[in-house]
Amino acid sequence: MELQLQNLTKQYGAKCAVKDVTASLKPGVYGLLGANGAGKTTLMRMICGVLKPTSGSICLNGKTINELGEQYYTHLGYMPQYSGFYPDFTAREFMLYMSAVKGLDKKRAKERTQELLQMVNLSDVADKKIRSYSGGMKQRLGIAQAELGSPSLLILDEPTAGLDPKERVRFRNIISDFSKEKIVILSTHIVSDVSYIADTILLMKQGQFLLQEPMSTVTESIRGKVWELFADEGSAAEYCRDFSVVNLHHEGNQVRLRIIDEAAPSAEAQTVEPTLEDLFLYYFGNEKPEEL
Amino acid sequence: MLIKYEFLKILRKKSTLLVMAVSLMVTGFLFGLPIMQYQTYRQNDVIKGAAGIAYEKEQCAGFSVPLTEDYVTETIREVQQLFETPENIGYDGSEPFLIGAAYWDEIAPRENLLRLIANTYGKPNEFFGYNNLPALDVTDGARFYQAIDEKIEALLNDPSRELSAGQKAYWRALSNKVNTPLQYGYYGGWEVIISSFELLMFALLAVCIVIAPVFSGEYQAGTDAVILSGKYGKTKLITAKITASFLFGTAAFLLHLLVACGLPLAAFGVDGWNLPLQIANTTIPYPFSFLQAVLINIGIIYLVLLAMIGLTLLLSAKLKTPYLVLIILIPILFIPLFLTPNGTAGAYNLLLFLLPYRSTMPELNRFISYQFGGLVLDVLTVRAILYALCSVILLPLAKSGFQKHQVA
Repeated sequence: MELQLQNLTKQYGAKCAVKDVTASLKPGVYGLLGANGAGKTTLMRMICGVLKPTSGSICLNGKTINELGEQYYTHLGYMPQYSGFYPDFTAREFMLYMSAVKGLDKKRAKERTQELLQMVNLSDVADKKIRSYSGGMKQRLGIAQAELGSPSLLILDEPTAGLDPKERVRFRNIISDFSKEKIVILSTHIVSDVSYIADTILLMKQGQFLLQEPMSTVTESIRGKVWELFADEGSAAEYCRDFSVVNLHHEGNQVRLRIIDEAAPSAEAQTVEPTLEDLFLYYFGNEKPEEL
Repeated sequence: MLIKYEFLKILRKKSTLLVMAVSLMVTGFLFGLPIMQYQTYRQNDVIKGAAGIAYEKEQCAGFSVPLTEDYVTETIREVQQLFETPENIGYDGSEPFLIGAAYWDEIAPRENLLRLIANTYGKPNEFFGYNNLPALDVTDGARFYQAIDEKIEALLNDPSRELSAGQKAYWRALSNKVNTPLQYGYYGGWEVIISSFELLMFALLAVCIVIAPVFSGEYQAGTDAVILSGKYGKTKLITAKITASFLFGTAAFLLHLLVACGLPLAAFGVDGWNLPLQIANTTIPYPFSFLQAVLINIGIIYLVLLAMIGLTLLLSAKLKTPYLVLIILIPILFIPLFLTPNGTAGAYNLLLFLLPYRSTMPELNRFISYQFGGLVLDVLTVRAILYALCSVILLPLAKSGFQKHQVA
């Protein structure tokens, strides 16, 4: 199984949402990181065949989406950002409906619905109307429907957005369970989510991939550029003005600062182990993500 | 399976139930009005509602006869004789009329029949009542059917109609198919239905409101991405949505028909179903019975409904929300309500008679026809062809609209 993105571009008038993206993805979990407006959602929509690229192509095992036709969609599971539901349907009805859309036969649809609702812990409320569900329950239902056809290509767009920490942890575990032997592309701007489950990080900025690195080595590029130091409150304010401060923590009269910079911000500063969060801020600089 | 769920999606919405309930109530009320307001007069009192209907039917029962030349001649003579007795006659300033027992015993029970006969001898666009019958010369018989032909001829040759020779020939040929002698009888229920068909517009509007979200509702709810990325999202699902919309439209239409036709027929009875339309107006050229005319017009309204469903689905596939769909649809349905034809000829009038609202009205006695080269078609046929064509054209467009939808 190989998903190839070849010179993929999406232009909206003068604005280029995705610019000449090329990548070859094999089974594994891909964390697609980027600030808001980086082009993540547009890229995912193109991969899911619900948005036509301006140019370039998407191939699965060497065949384009057009060549594969309906066949392509049998490999695909998609959980869009802000996915809607039918409030007057129960979760079970929604799953059976989606099974029919995905071409599952009746028997398989029933089995899979039961199985997945159990996996996402919704079997107790499977026959309740979706309108009565909380945001977290809807997110879980969203991922359950994406997994319905046991797809080999799972696209999850901001699946943890709006969830509380407990729900996010639960969600990460569900995604991990679903990700075996699949290409999973998980878009988020919540760095901690991907740091736990991604095998590879795809960093996107202004419609382009800045970085495609395995999780284990992704932070290597900023090794030696992340610093920690203590300063008094007055100096801390100056550091915040002059440097990219990742973290700031008051400890007694002192402030512990975590700074990303090419060179040591002061003689007392010491290099520390870089994290994915540091990497994100290193690349996105002033483009502040909503949540880190 | 998909059709079942798409049908459920439509049915489960509270708005569907609300719109349907309101529309059925409005239809029931409007078609029930002629029953509630029905009144007939006796010499000393007025009888209303069901009692009035029963009385009228009873009165009419004695005149359920074939309108042979002899019968019509005899009837005219009877009226003429009544007018020969001065005590029977009153004046309203301009014309004489019968009073007392002469009116209540001899005229009132068959006044509709007498008006039908009298009108046949009148000039086009002039109203003739039983009090015009004494002026007729029936020495050599009434020549009733000859009078019908002459009146139809006069109507066809009316310059304001601007009918071509081909169109006149078409109407003559159609009119010649009417079986004579006409069988007279009671047809109260059918009269109410035929004169109230346009009230079914509320049913059409209700169906359009309910199905407006079929595609655009998916965009609005954000479910478009999920379903379009499914295996059948761009193929079988669209067919299922269209089929479910038609099933719903058909079911809703039948329900409205049940109310619209059921109420008058329950109150006035089905009497007259097999009688010719010409007993309501002798110049109607269509050789149909009341039941046939009602069924044909229902068929045309159903085709209008199908075309409106097609248009609604096309707009729904193209526009982002159901509200935008309705903003376009409602004027299409209701603006023609405020446009009145100023004749039966000319592009404006001929177009007006084909718009959805006017297409619900059968316009049985207006000789509205369309000529395409040597081919002449009456308004009912043109409506049927036009709306069937619209449905056939609009549906693939709606399908491709959703197929090409970009989730952006």
